[in-house]
Amino acid sequence: MEKIVCKKEWSVAMRINHWAMALSIFILIATGFYIANPFTVSQGDTVHKFLMGHVRYGHILFGVFLVFLFLWRVYLAFFSRFHADWKDFFAWADVKASVEQVKFYLLIRKDAPEHKMLYGPMQSLAYIGLMFMVFVIVVTGLILMGAGYHAGFTALCYKILRPIENLLGGLAVVRYIHHIFTWFFILFIVVHIYMAFWYDAVLKQGTISSMVSGVLFEREKK
Amino acid sequence: MAKGNNSEYKKMIDKQYSDLMKHCQVQMEKIEKDLPEPKEDFQAVLKEHGVSRRDFIKWTSAMTAALMLPPIFRPMVAKAAENFSRLPVVWLHFAECTGCSEAFLRSSYPNVDDILLDTISLEYHETLMAASGYQAEQNLEKAIKDFAGKFICVIEGALPRGLNGKYLTLGPKGKTGIQVAKEVTSKAAAIVCIGSCSAFGNIQAAKPNPTDSVSISKALGISTVNIAGCPPNSVNFTGTLLHYLLFGSLPTLDSLGRPLWAYGKRIHDDCERRSHYDASEFVEEWGDKGALKGWCLYKMGCKGPYTYANCGKVRFNDAISWPIMAGHGCIGCTEPAFWDTMAPLEKPLDEKTYGGGEKTVDNIGIALTGVAVAGIAVHAVASGARHSGGKK
Repeated sequence: MEKIVCKKEWSVAMRINHWAMALSIFILIATGFYIANPFTVSQGDTVHKFLMGHVRYGHILFGVFLVFLFLWRVYLAFFSRFHADWKDFFAWADVKASVEQVKFYLLIRKDAPEHKMLYGPMQSLAYIGLMFMVFVIVVTGLILMGAGYHAGFTALCYKILRPIENLLGGLAVVRYIHHIFTWFFILFIVVHIYMAFWYDAVLKQGTISSMVSGVLFEREKK
Repeated sequence: MAKGNNSEYKKMIDKQYSDLMKHCQVQMEKIEKDLPEPKEDFQAVLKEHGVSRRDFIKWTSAMTAALMLPPIFRPMVAKAAENFSRLPVVWLHFAECTGCSEAFLRSSYPNVDDILLDTISLEYHETLMAASGYQAEQNLEKAIKDFAGKFICVIEGALPRGLNGKYLTLGPKGKTGIQVAKEVTSKAAAIVCIGSCSAFGNIQAAKPNPTDSVSISKALGISTVNIAGCPPNSVNFTGTLLHYLLFGSLPTLDSLGRPLWAYGKRIHDDCERRSHYDASEFVEEWGDKGALKGWCLYKMGCKGPYTYANCGKVRFNDAISWPIMAGHGCIGCTEPAFWDTMAPLEKPLDEKTYGGGEKTVDNIGIALTGVAVAGIAVHAVASGARHSGGKK
């Protein structure tokens, strides 16, 4: 009989961060598309309507969540007591391993290459790309938020980020970049979810459930 | 806040304002001593234009508030207005349409701002002066010499840098715009750029910018006060000059050189149609039901959310109207490079098109997502075949 052992892969903090970020991003994409291209509510009096107001409230609320989730994730990458994974984001630097990994993805190679790090080479590239995307969307988002609110934390952020706004060429450009990056998120989500299912199906280690339970299943070698 | 703190705070504010008042009085005396007598009595000019004393007092209140000063400064603003025509001004025109001058001078029922601009002591203004040719050149040289370090240099128009600046040559000596600008600005007390051309380059600097036009500050490497807009509001210009008269310094500027008192908030923040934006009431096409009801113009390409200006507060043409009130969205003319960054002007920003004017970023995004999903489907089927049956 084969013996199957559990190997802890994700800490609790990492899992909570993952799902909170996922939830925020889904809400932000939906509300963001409404803000970019809203439909008109024709019925009723203006005084009783506040749809855009509510949608923007939700967008800003979850946007601020995303700011703190991002800061938390960066903190975990460096100071997690379970596994600080900042080095693993650079697994793609190993060119030979990257080539092998691409071969595996293109079904040229049948057995999975061993990962020397927490993430596979292509996976690490996608995740560091995601980190960059979150950073850009959060910075542009804070600029767009700060332009409309003139007090407190927002105003402080805006004061710091205003030079970036000028450098990019004004709020219009900032808003356009914000919109383009939304599509990068959508593309990431499509591929990310597929790859998770694909790994689960091919390696049969419980990749999907690991993001909830925190453990992967491994067959013990004899 | 505790009561004790409150009174202390009030004392501190009072002290700041009384210090500012003293500074202002000293400054006003200095101006009356240093600068020439006004050519005309301002009160008489006002009477001539049918502006009553009462109207003038009302205007001082409005201007004091606009400059974010407390009401005790009203007499000083009135005094500054009376001394307005002492300030020597040299007005230069470069690559532009003179629309800013036109907008300032051609009001049918001039208010105090317009009359102030009428009485301004223009030592040199290419559109308005009687002199021409060498005589005009002499006037300019004389003004620069007589008022060196005291005059305000007002500039309309961008500076083309292409062909060594020869896309713009002026006057009988055929000087390039850059040469003239350098000569005049080096002697000026302050440089005020009127309009988006001199402030940010405007349409001459829009892509592909064949003459390599740039703003005054970029062409000469100096800092300027930018009264942005195409055209800007006369209130923003007179207010800035009044501030200079009152305090001997230029108003606080934002990072793009625009006076904060006028360009500190976005059009969107003070828009009269803002409540319709929050209520999701949008004009969907020109002349539809929403347009008749005055709903938000966001979907008709209003760029108010990206534009810093006070148009909605001060309005144009004797405060009769302004673009959004008239039923067209803001085109963002106070922002740098707005012809490029705000395009398309009558559609929301995300409808900017690529590839022969067909594809928007959303079309491209949907296509890429479609390709990704199709790729995944193929990969999934192929993987099914390749990894079928066998246990790892």
